Amino acid sequence: MIPLSWYLTFSFMMIGLGAYGMAVKRNLIRVLIGAEIMANGVTVALVALSLYMETFTFTGQALVILVISVAAAHTALAMVLMLMYNSRYGTVDLGRPGIQEEMQSE
Amino acid sequence: MQGNELVDLLEPVEFIAIAAIVLFLAYLALEHRDIVYAVFSFGIMASLVAGFFLLLEAPFIAGMQIAVYTGGISVLIIFGVLLLPRAQDTTLEAFEGPSKRRVGLLVSIFAVVFAAALALLYEWPAPAGWDTGIPQQRVDLAQSLEQLAVWLWGEHGIYVQMIALVMVTALVGAIAVLKMEKAERMNPESKDYGIGSSNDGGDETPVVDGPEEPEDEQEEVAE
Repeated sequence: MIPLSWYLTFSFMMIGLGAYGMAVKRNLIRVLIGAEIMANGVTVALVALSLYMETFTFTGQALVILVISVAAAHTALAMVLMLMYNSRYGTVDLGRPGIQEEMQSE
Repeated sequence: MQGNELVDLLEPVEFIAIAAIVLFLAYLALEHRDIVYAVFSFGIMASLVAGFFLLLEAPFIAGMQIAVYTGGISVLIIFGVLLLPRAQDTTLEAFEGPSKRRVGLLVSIFAVVFAAALALLYEWPAPAGWDTGIPQQRVDLAQSLEQLAVWLWGEHGIYVQMIALVMVTALVGAIAVLKMEKAERMNPESKDYGIGSSNDGGDETPVVDGPEEPEDEQEEVAE
């Protein structure tokens, strides 16, 4: 049987990769993908922990259902916000300095 | 017994293979120059993560992962890419300044090291039969969904209510945000930024449909 530490190590690598994407990337869609990668890492850790407990319960799986539902909801909301950001500023660039001044000068 | 031993031997191989592919696809999803291919990589990665759930005796979660992530979220992101042509601009890949990139890398490395130290140094209880050599009593796959349904709907309905509340809130929030955007387009406010700002010709483009229509009709009649 695979040790629990393997699953936890994998999930932490996923969380770190997602955090890297959210921290470094400035394209809003890449940031959203980073958040989804982090959510995937969290779900793997939750299911693994629920299976490897002394007495098995469905708490981890129920929490994973909650996480997946929240991920779907926040993705839909993030897409709406991205469309608003694009219509307001004309870009999906998160890190352009002085973006408001540029829009006003145009 | 030989079959079970073979399965136990193959499990680490499956784990390592799936983990390597998933990590590579996650890296591609973040670093591929073409964002459409990046989103496709994310969708395939999400479907491969379901393999971990199958290894962890959670087939319902695996199906839900494929249905929601691969079938829903990745398709939604692709629609977003198609609706936002500027998202395909390859110059938006990363912050130009090395300091911000370095800070991002440090934050992600700190998150990994801190979480790994917390989880791997903590003495998690071993599963039943781990030290004794007796195989762990596994969840019966055929009964898993039934037990999950009883646990979720019968004993812990609060989780379902929380999910419903979150979904309804997101739905109402998305509709409200879009309505606000539409209302702002119809009646632009005079501000220093955004649509209707005083510097981008917002005064020239007010949308006032009511009073103008009768004049147009009168002109047409006069002609």
